[in-house]
Amino acid sequence: MKSGSGILSLVTAESKRFIKFFISELKPKGKLFTPFNIISASIITLGAVLIVIRFAKGLSSVTNLSQEFPWGIWIGFDVITGVAFAGGAYVLTFMVYILRQEKYHPIIRITVLNGFLAYVFYAGALLLDLGRPWNVINPIIGNSFGVSSVMFLVAWHFMLYMIAEFIEFSPAVAEWLGWKRIRKVLGGMTLAAVIFGITLSTLHQSGLGALFLMAKSKIHPLWYSEYIPILFFVSSIFAGLSMVIFEGSISHKVFRHRMSQKVHASHDDIVLGLAKICAAAMFVYFFLKVIVFIHEKHWLYLNSTWGYLYLIEIVGFVLIPMRIYVQALKYKNITVVKFAAVLTLIGIILNRLNTSVIAYNWQALNKYYPTWMEIVITLSVVFVEILVLRWIVNRMPILSDPPIWASDEKEERIKKIYLIKEEEPEKWKVSSM
Amino acid sequence: MEGFEYVDIFATKGIEYLVVIAFLFILVFFWRWLNRPVVADIKSRDLNKNKISLIDWFYLADNFYYHQGHSWVAPSRGDVVTIGIDDFAQKLLGKPSALSLPKIGSMLKQGDKGIELKIDSKSIDILSPVEGEVLEINEEVINSPELINMDPYNKGWLLRVRVPQLRTNLRNLLSGNLAKAWMQNAVDKVSQKFSSDFGVVLQDGGVLISGFAKEISPEKWDQLAQELLVTYNALD
Amino acid sequence: MDRRSFVKTLGIMGACTLPGRALQAENMGDETEFYGILVDTTKCVGCQTCTVTCAETHGLPEPDLDALWDSDVPRKTSDKQWTLINRFEVDDQEYYVKTQCMHCCQPACAAACPTKALLKTKEGPVVWRADKCMGCRFCMVSCPFDMPKFEYNSPVPKIQKCVMCWERLRVGQKPACIEACPEEAIIFGKRRDLIDEARRRIYEDPELYVHEIYGEHEVGGTGYLYLASVPLEKLGFRTDLGTIAYPEYTKTFLYSVPIVITLWPAILLALNNASKQAHESTEKED
Repeated sequence: MKSGSGILSLVTAESKRFIKFFISELKPKGKLFTPFNIISASIITLGAVLIVIRFAKGLSSVTNLSQEFPWGIWIGFDVITGVAFAGGAYVLTFMVYILRQEKYHPIIRITVLNGFLAYVFYAGALLLDLGRPWNVINPIIGNSFGVSSVMFLVAWHFMLYMIAEFIEFSPAVAEWLGWKRIRKVLGGMTLAAVIFGITLSTLHQSGLGALFLMAKSKIHPLWYSEYIPILFFVSSIFAGLSMVIFEGSISHKVFRHRMSQKVHASHDDIVLGLAKICAAAMFVYFFLKVIVFIHEKHWLYLNSTWGYLYLIEIVGFVLIPMRIYVQALKYKNITVVKFAAVLTLIGIILNRLNTSVIAYNWQALNKYYPTWMEIVITLSVVFVEILVLRWIVNRMPILSDPPIWASDEKEERIKKIYLIKEEEPEKWKVSSM
Repeated sequence: MEGFEYVDIFATKGIEYLVVIAFLFILVFFWRWLNRPVVADIKSRDLNKNKISLIDWFYLADNFYYHQGHSWVAPSRGDVVTIGIDDFAQKLLGKPSALSLPKIGSMLKQGDKGIELKIDSKSIDILSPVEGEVLEINEEVINSPELINMDPYNKGWLLRVRVPQLRTNLRNLLSGNLAKAWMQNAVDKVSQKFSSDFGVVLQDGGVLISGFAKEISPEKWDQLAQELLVTYNALD
Repeated sequence: MDRRSFVKTLGIMGACTLPGRALQAENMGDETEFYGILVDTTKCVGCQTCTVTCAETHGLPEPDLDALWDSDVPRKTSDKQWTLINRFEVDDQEYYVKTQCMHCCQPACAAACPTKALLKTKEGPVVWRADKCMGCRFCMVSCPFDMPKFEYNSPVPKIQKCVMCWERLRVGQKPACIEACPEEAIIFGKRRDLIDEARRRIYEDPELYVHEIYGEHEVGGTGYLYLASVPLEKLGFRTDLGTIAYPEYTKTFLYSVPIVITLWPAILLALNNASKQAHESTEKED
């Protein structure tokens, strides 16, 4: 349409507007010195200091990692549990874009945003844990592809998944910036990004489990089986959805001022729907565990401390929350659903930590306990993520309605056609740019 | 030679990944190819054999696509389509005194003004139903505009257009049952206008006379026509 | 063609085949087999010469030789010591066992390494390359013997483990510990030959040795082989590791990845299509 020089002037004009806009958006919205802000700022500052020490003096200056326990809570909690919690994104995009269950459409953006940020920050936390992070470029640029390695696969999938999630999320960014044509292009890429994302998620959720397949001699038999990948994948479904319920209840209060009517009104309905899916997934997971239990002859190990821990994890934090979900569904009690969600989340943390840290090298004499410094750094990563989330939700149409020019979904158009029967003549939208 | 020589058990993994990446890439094209817009339903040359439905007063060609501005689109061959105005529009306007069609080679945009009809001294715009390049215009209709009234879906065709994004364009148009519902709605609107404005009630459901816009509103019939053909609001 | 040019052509053709044959011969002789080390614990007297020589050769700190065996718990190699000797008392007899990386035939660590920093060379030793390693420590998680050790105290940490003196092997020398051992308790050679030698020793002295070569089949075979006169569990060896090479445990998962990447998009597209038609038909019914 425009000539070459016209495009250049367009780009420069847009960049100027963008920079001005962005700087104005950087200003905080709302009070600066809330309790949350103060606490998170102090922890983040402390965490930053600790990170500098960690890079200056090596891992042992801030962690309790040892030759027996090469992975601690940075991998066990931040990466492995964090990624399980981010599983809501792929399950929800599956339901909304593949199965077209429009009921969950209102929360799709916040879930995808959460998933995207979770991966960015937890993969970022991974960089903190790497001993020689400057070489992380190696498996990426083709210098040395360790194709035989599950970790190579997981690392690549993380990167590709982040890109897919960003594409899924980018229409919101385009709407925020007012880039109409780009918004249209990105909207067309959503389905491909969703399919790609679901495929990648399946593989890296199970891949995180596959990381431990070679630790056969070191993980307690109750947590080791050849089916770890499948168990991790299935549990990521209800882990992710429980996290969506949990985070949803928090953002419902915190971001109330940003929420559109649609999102607010459908909240309860959505939570109940998710609870149902969680209950079903946990039911299936429990029976998978039973099969594995029989296959690996786990009853031989039950009568021991480890056995009790195992039973607590399965019965206390899988079976019981499942039962509570079902009960809450019967009475449509949202508070009880949230309680069940919290129990489920604890169960997932327990399961992932057991496999990676607690029941790992279970025969070692010196156990691993995280130092307070590891915990502080973990918390500061979480806080930074929450702050970024808050910044984005307060500015971009995540929970609020998208601008009018962007609601060009085909379903909306079809619905508009059905509104022909009204008296007023209809405004025809010019659908091309 | 077990255990005495180097055996790479993951030797083929790298190539497998490359094949899979190629698969994903090719899948995109394969899927689009598989889901090409189905144009085989419409036999392009045999417009006479089209099934025509009568919705109260107006005829609809069953397997055409309709734009809210009352123009129709019939996919012809590949990404080329034929365009005309529907029975409602031609009955609304009556016989045009002159036609102004876009030049061959000009570009149309879906929803923008496409065709201009002159009736008496006033000119009415018809919105273009598709986006594309005009390939051919119907010379016969320019010489004998009454063809539009006599045979709006066949000999009264107006333009042949190449539409590169045919599938996307067709998605914005009405067809099949949706089109019938829309036409029924147009009928309702028109009958309301008759009964409310003038107290004239058409009891027997006979065919409307040509140019009924003038019947409804002799002074402002062009405004009424533009409103019913949606061009009025598009000018906002 | 006259006779001269015919002979010339023949000659040239013949000459052309010569490099081919030479290359072929090179290939046949070039099938390198693994080297290995056989440790005969009945001969080791615990003099620690191998430990000290190893540290000297590789620039590691001198090992502390005092109070070595005060504790009952077998010591482990560390990021400062690639090999050490443990003492075990079985039936009032003392046995000394040298411990270090086992240089498995199908190493779990090399399969685990996402950057190919740990590499199984075709000569046999498993080596670590600093320029590739990113310090993820997945090798440590995967190794059944817990051999790779990490320098947690350093901002530029390395993975430390025995590399069977690979640099020396390439210039035709033997590993430092081999040359240092005064009792010839450890010998170096092709793994195939070492197994033959071990079998010979067992055959010639069946009362002395337990009829088992540790490392012959463990985890698919290792480069270090051990002979002992008492059951190996008593000497701190893990005998519950199985005979399947550890990378095989991840093979099923890794090979199902391309299958999933192929099937999932197809299934998802199909579901998307099916739900679209269901969606549109329910709308048409309205």
